[in-house]
Amino acid sequence: MPEQLTAPGPRPAVLVYRHPGAPAAVLRQVCAGVEEEGVPTDVTEVPGPDDATALAHAAAGESRLGVGIGLDAAGAAAVHHGTLPEGTPVVTTPARALSPDWRRVGRIAARVVKHLPLV
Amino acid sequence: MGAREGAPPEGLLVVGVDIGNSTTEACLAVVAPDGSITYLGTDLTRTTGVKGTPDNTEGALKAIRGALARAGRSAGQVETVLLNEATPVISGLAMETITETIITESTMIGHNPTTPGGEGLGVGTTRSIGELGEQQPGEPVVCVVPHGWDFDDVAAALNAAVAAGVDVVAAILAGDDAVLVTNRLTRPIPVVDEVAAVEKVPLGMLAAVEVAAPGRTIRTLSNSYGLATVFDLDPVQTRQVSPVARALTGNRSAVVVRTPTGDVTDRRIPVGELVLHGAGKTLRVDVDAGAEAIMEVVGRAQPLDDARGEPGTHVGGMLAQVRDTMADVMDVAGQPDVPVSDIAIRDVLAVDTFVPAEVRGGLAGEVALENAVALAAMVRTSRSRMQLVADLVSEGLGAAAEIGGVEGEMAVGGALTTPGVDRPIAVLDLGGGSTDAALLTREGECTAVHVAGAGELVTKLIDSELALGDREVAEGVKWFPLGKVESFFHLRHEDGTVEFVDQPLPPHVFARVVVLTPDGPAPVPTRYGLDHVRRVRREAKRRVFVVNALRALRQVAPGGNLRALEFVVLLGGSALDFEIPDMIADALAPHGIVCGTGNVLGTEGPRNAVASGLVRAHAALLAEEARCRSS
Repeated sequence: MPEQLTAPGPRPAVLVYRHPGAPAAVLRQVCAGVEEEGVPTDVTEVPGPDDATALAHAAAGESRLGVGIGLDAAGAAAVHHGTLPEGTPVVTTPARALSPDWRRVGRIAARVVKHLPLV
Repeated sequence: MGAREGAPPEGLLVVGVDIGNSTTEACLAVVAPDGSITYLGTDLTRTTGVKGTPDNTEGALKAIRGALARAGRSAGQVETVLLNEATPVISGLAMETITETIITESTMIGHNPTTPGGEGLGVGTTRSIGELGEQQPGEPVVCVVPHGWDFDDVAAALNAAVAAGVDVVAAILAGDDAVLVTNRLTRPIPVVDEVAAVEKVPLGMLAAVEVAAPGRTIRTLSNSYGLATVFDLDPVQTRQVSPVARALTGNRSAVVVRTPTGDVTDRRIPVGELVLHGAGKTLRVDVDAGAEAIMEVVGRAQPLDDARGEPGTHVGGMLAQVRDTMADVMDVAGQPDVPVSDIAIRDVLAVDTFVPAEVRGGLAGEVALENAVALAAMVRTSRSRMQLVADLVSEGLGAAAEIGGVEGEMAVGGALTTPGVDRPIAVLDLGGGSTDAALLTREGECTAVHVAGAGELVTKLIDSELALGDREVAEGVKWFPLGKVESFFHLRHEDGTVEFVDQPLPPHVFARVVVLTPDGPAPVPTRYGLDHVRRVRREAKRRVFVVNALRALRQVAPGGNLRALEFVVLLGGSALDFEIPDMIADALAPHGIVCGTGNVLGTEGPRNAVASGLVRAHAALLAEEARCRSS
């Protein structure tokens, strides 16, 4: 069973599926990006596939908002939506990205929820 | 004649070619000795080079060869190529803002970050976050946070200061962290973020920060008396700050800093006078007065002989710029240059517009809507510029080429092939640079006029009013209906219809206003909503084409009376627009006019009128000659 890092609230949230090896700094900035837009996140540690897009797709399938974020061990990130095929995520960032890029991943996930342009 | 299956029509093979500002059209036909015409094919291609220059030859030959190929004929069979005599007008555009907002001494930040933090009003002295520790308790402080501070550190520093008794009432951040910071504060305060030039915020000055609840706008800083209350201003000072209040109206968040001489000025730029010569009079009008006043004066000076701007003013510069461009276009190799002073402006269309311009002295990329005036001007040229092209076409094709007739008259002839029309017929050619009208009376008399302003001006208005800064995008907004992408699988059209798509829409159009091009939805980079973009588009078209349609038709109508017109046929590229023909028809309906988009030859729509008109005129000429010979 995946370990819950934050307790799922009564409200729907953007699900973050994080590989156990994912860097904490990436997780922090991604979650900050979602929070700045005023959308809640629930973070789950998933030991399964070490692939950001696959994790994001699985998270989006589980999220009641239909939006998931995946973080792999190397620090790559992806945002997915429940209606999209696995091969076409909303956005991805490579492992060697900078903190504004991670923040942007979170912001984009939140903006998919809020139906705002993805900038 | 070449051997073809079936009985090829007897007669001479002629091609009418219309070189327009943007497209070159050809019409291939066989003209029998009695003047009867058999149309064989048409073609359309992009005009190469500026209309009326030798560069046009390439496009003309391409269109001719295209029409020949469709009809299965060869160039050697062509008897005559007929070219249009270009409408003797060239048009130019200029736009100038007539108001500007300037912020001095960084006194005001009035922008709309998407996510400000907290709520309410905080008034205190501006202090850098690094100096918070040295702050005496009790005095209200507005904390200024430069770039590079992490949100956790900002929150910790503010919480520590509050714990030490410092009265932190608000914060101004450089980064996009306002919600993150407010979520971590022990005492909630309003926070404005995304202030790019935060280092320019003066420190040690009294400042007010206001953030409204989501969906609301600020109440205190956008009210002159609110500012007077906050900063304890006397009536003279209140009068001075009223532009600040006005500039902040409609924002969700704002910062106002009180500095000794800081100011926001909202000034009118003296644009100058437009001097119009015409109808034996010289009339002057201040461009500041707006489009309506200018057009009223232009109307009194009809027919216009020339228009000039007061030297040294903006309008002088605008018209000089138009004149210079026109002189360049009119210069023909091998002939002496056209002196700029000889170029007389024969029509002017003024349009009121507005330009969202970045405020000078702003700290966060603030944008103010400035008033502007756009002028389209038109000059007549006396030089025949098409003969040179005709010579080159003749050389390239190996067939005779001649000037077959004047554009306006030819267009009427072509328009008459539209099913359901009869004389008296007026055509409105909605082009790129000018709007042209021609009237053919029952007796066969033809008059033509040209007025300044057409498709190019519409594009320019859309471009500047939506602050797109990209002509191609503005063209897209002009040509295609709008939609809003509502999810990865559905989009809402501007009429409210919702369409589901099978393939996911790409993320770059998600939740955006898009134009529905044949290649799929393309985003319109604007923060305005669909309704606003639609209104701007329709207003631009109305102010140019509806105004010009009425202006041009009044000039050709007998006695200026629109009721004397019966059939009005719309031609030209803009007649293919999805709404302009309806807008013009609506405007003409009260005058009892039948108005619609032409359908030349019953198949070509509003295209090919001039090219097929050239063929018709040539056929009439041949028949006339035949009659003369036989009698």
